[in-house]
Amino acid sequence: MRSASAKRDGLTEEIIDEGIENYRESDRFTENEKIALEYSELMQFEPEKINGEFYARLQEHYSSEEIVELGSFIGFNVGYHTFFRTLDFYPMFSPDGRLVSQEESRRIYGTRPTSHMRGPMARATGEHGAEPKNED
Amino acid sequence: MPFIEPLSNNLNSQPGFGKLLKRSGKIQVPDELFVRILAHAPGYAKALHDAMHMSHVEGNVSHKLKEIIRIQLSRKAEDTYFSNLRSEKAKEEGLTEDRIEAGCGNFENDSEFTCAEKWALRYAYLMYREPKKVNADFYDEGKKYYSEAQIMELGSFIALHYGMQVFMRTLRAFPLHNPEGKPISQGESEKFYGTKVGR
Repeated sequence: MRSASAKRDGLTEEIIDEGIENYRESDRFTENEKIALEYSELMQFEPEKINGEFYARLQEHYSSEEIVELGSFIGFNVGYHTFFRTLDFYPMFSPDGRLVSQEESRRIYGTRPTSHMRGPMARATGEHGAEPKNED
Repeated sequence: MPFIEPLSNNLNSQPGFGKLLKRSGKIQVPDELFVRILAHAPGYAKALHDAMHMSHVEGNVSHKLKEIIRIQLSRKAEDTYFSNLRSEKAKEEGLTEDRIEAGCGNFENDSEFTCAEKWALRYAYLMYREPKKVNADFYDEGKKYYSEAQIMELGSFIALHYGMQVFMRTLRAFPLHNPEGKPISQGESEKFYGTKVGR
């Protein structure tokens, strides 16, 4: 799924992929944005690294209000994404904005989260050879 | 002190916060500390506290069972704050530390839990440890004991609480009271409860 308001604000699939895969080295992101992305990554995978020192670094870039907003947003999404994954449901719309069945949506998006630029967009528009690889 | 300083000045007099603080004081999951930390972002404080409060006081799944699940999850999250809080409502309904320990430990072999309760405890246990096992077969088994509404209640409860525990863990916060209900400082609380999660 993609936030409509984020898209209106100019968020693209390239930026999303860069933010997930290569934010530390990327020129697209400010230092503020990089530490927020790091906060998110650590909270999910290495929470023990979020300590007083990390919060002090965060406070160089964000107010307490913004940190609470970020932290609770991240926590909320960490919790819910795992739950939703177990329900095996898919977006109601294809990347090109068509209303699709759950079966079609599963075919387009595949059963593991992936960059929309590596399959889903092509499958949505019927590009040959874009079928998802076998999943776990 | 938690890494985000709790707000204290005049929070009671800010619109909507009197109600949140009163609710927290009554049920204690979360206690006022959560409200005071999240109060830096008032909209988030109100929305999340509303959701957490509702998850405890409304619904059709046993509150005692949900409380055991909440604590089980908080130990997985290694959160010193939520793992040491106890719901006043669950205590009033007779939940004891022994049953909490049983639910957080070898619940599968505990004869005091019903099959339905074991499924719910297993649901929480697997969600963030082995989520691939929470599959269609697993849900089919759950439907023998629970309605779909109850399963959604349980799943959403698990997701909401675990998410907040993951965040609170990073803040290094501790409960505002000792188990007897006496207010204590964060320093005393850390010393009392310790930084290792679980009994």
